[in-house]
Amino acid sequence: MPNRVAIVGIGQTRHRSTRRDVTLPEMINEAVREALADADLTIRDIEAVFTSSMETFEGIYLPDHGAAAEIGAFMKPGFKVCTGGTSGASVVVEGFCMVAAGLYDTALVIGFEKQDCGETTAAITAATTPVWGKGAVTGAIGEFAKQALSYMETSGAKEEHAARVRLKADRGACRNEYAHLKLGLQTIEEVLKSDYLVWPLRFLDFCPQSSGACALVFATENRARKIHRKPVWIADVEVVHQEPFRAGTFGDPTGKEAYSQHVACERLYKRNGITHPRRDIDMAEVYEPSNWEEMSLYEHLHFCGKNEGWKLVEKGITEMDGEFPVNPSGGVIATNPIGATPTIRVAEAALQIRGDAGEHQVAKDVKSALATALGGPNWTVLTLLKRTL
Amino acid sequence: MPATRKLKDRDVYLYHGQIYIPNTYTAGGLGTQVLAALRDKKKILGIRCPACNRVYVPARSTCKDCFGQLSELVEVSDRGTLLTYTVVYQPHITQPVEPPIPYGIVQLDGADNGFLHMLGGADPGEFRIGMRVRAVFKKERTGSILDIRYFKPL
Amino acid sequence: MRQSAKKTEKQQEYISIRFDAPRKYRWSTGKWIGRTYLEAKENKKIVANRCPQCREVLWPPMQVCGRCKVEAGEDWVELAQTGTVMQYTYLVYPLWDPHYGEKFANPYPNAMILLDDGVYIRHFLEETDPKKLKAGMRVRAVWREDAERGEGTADIKYFRTIEE
Repeated sequence: MPNRVAIVGIGQTRHRSTRRDVTLPEMINEAVREALADADLTIRDIEAVFTSSMETFEGIYLPDHGAAAEIGAFMKPGFKVCTGGTSGASVVVEGFCMVAAGLYDTALVIGFEKQDCGETTAAITAATTPVWGKGAVTGAIGEFAKQALSYMETSGAKEEHAARVRLKADRGACRNEYAHLKLGLQTIEEVLKSDYLVWPLRFLDFCPQSSGACALVFATENRARKIHRKPVWIADVEVVHQEPFRAGTFGDPTGKEAYSQHVACERLYKRNGITHPRRDIDMAEVYEPSNWEEMSLYEHLHFCGKNEGWKLVEKGITEMDGEFPVNPSGGVIATNPIGATPTIRVAEAALQIRGDAGEHQVAKDVKSALATALGGPNWTVLTLLKRTL
Repeated sequence: MPATRKLKDRDVYLYHGQIYIPNTYTAGGLGTQVLAALRDKKKILGIRCPACNRVYVPARSTCKDCFGQLSELVEVSDRGTLLTYTVVYQPHITQPVEPPIPYGIVQLDGADNGFLHMLGGADPGEFRIGMRVRAVFKKERTGSILDIRYFKPL
Repeated sequence: MRQSAKKTEKQQEYISIRFDAPRKYRWSTGKWIGRTYLEAKENKKIVANRCPQCREVLWPPMQVCGRCKVEAGEDWVELAQTGTVMQYTYLVYPLWDPHYGEKFANPYPNAMILLDDGVYIRHFLEETDPKKLKAGMRVRAVWREDAERGEGTADIKYFRTIEE
């Protein structure tokens, strides 16, 4: 029987666009210390350390090795996970599997990114080689722009709906002390006045480049209950891959549909007896790189039917005080240190279950939550968290 | 002109390309104090871990062994003992000076770990493990580790 | 090359170092994409291979069919050079491109084109006027001059709108 695994410590840095005041290891150390303090543990209690970040972003090869002391991995087992945009959630899955398998009773799971050290879009574009067309890929944003255009044309969603999603995210971010972009947006017009970045996405439609880290402490059941009053259980995980940027080869016309999200949810929900996600789960922290993608994700994650994502927005169902809150933390569109972002989704979902999200705590009682991760290559990682198993 | 060349004996091409992403490395608050001390005072700063009673050079924020958060800056000597060294002869774009470049690890008096830097002021063949060396600072300093030109034999 | 730069935040000094030099790489096309390069350069053709099991045309040509997980072999097919635009976008704000080594906003829109034989290709469109761009427009490949060819699909300069 695999062990049950709980999150017993949560820590984040206050995410900002530049952190000139720290080196990369020092920045990660901030999140680690906060997670240990939250768990009331010392680094000696941690048996293994798992890290994730994007390669090439900081211009350092093996950034986690340079931070071995600062993450408490000196002379300890450590694992590095890089799976593109989903890295921060893949590392959660890796830590979960190792602890569930009984290899370690406690583990530290860290996602980090210091994007002020490089050029983000260039670093993502370096996932391709010019062997296959120079200038054809503009990082991830070109792909999400095409997705937005498709969604605009086929679903009936209007720019106003996307703007409302942006406002929702900003409201959450302004109430989240860790969030990066706190813009104080008030009206739809403000969002629609923003310049185009890559058409039809405007600057405000897309996530920022942030620098930050997020750390979680995992423990097995018999340790978890002694460590924290409110352990949050990782009930299940699911990982599904899709091919990157190929488009159309295996039946997906624009290549931008995050079909892996749909398939991953089908499997996760079936295993956990979830037939009506908005009723059977209490809220979600989803990985939405743009506001348009968020509406399309509602559909892929089975929160509503096809072409109905924008209707959830219109009815306010996914607001903080709504029937099914999505991204009360401000989401990715307000804070995106890429290697840390999926870990932050898990952390924020866990905070909601604990009731510890402070000013951005949702109105309803949260007993279970879904945290999703999406990568540029449309890979999906899902984590289902529960207050009791 | 295409950036490719076909291999002679098969239909395979080599694309000669680049990955060019400018990067910025931040020294951080503590690192800046170390570099500023090199620039302004020609002093080398280490940091002491009170729990382990050891001094790290250059100063760093976390102790490797006890995980303590460090803040007690101490000045270490600009003299020390050469623990090990090597000499680089091959040129490379990343080098700060022209080869041959002797460089090694010096244990500065007052520090508990080694300090990596270039060696100079003598023929590459003259360096020996155990030799006493001293830092030579540049006249024009900018707040860089290269404000120390090299360590030369005492 | 390296420069030391001082930035100030309020009264506090923070030193940063900028490293600004290209890292050179040589990438091989391998055998399958190599064939695409050859046909584009010598014959102005776009070729792909067909999986022996599922009979699907694999674009870009691959050694292994990802779905069937079998060796895809060398059953080469020539692809159509006309197609329909499925979706497109264009970069407004110049962003750093690591392969060019500078900030770059490609002057041509980037599109997903469905070639007439059912294969999707990502390429550029000649039409730069946003008002004239729309999904569903018919396009044809325009090739570069002989001396400029030798970079695979980049040997097609862009796809030109055609009336049909």
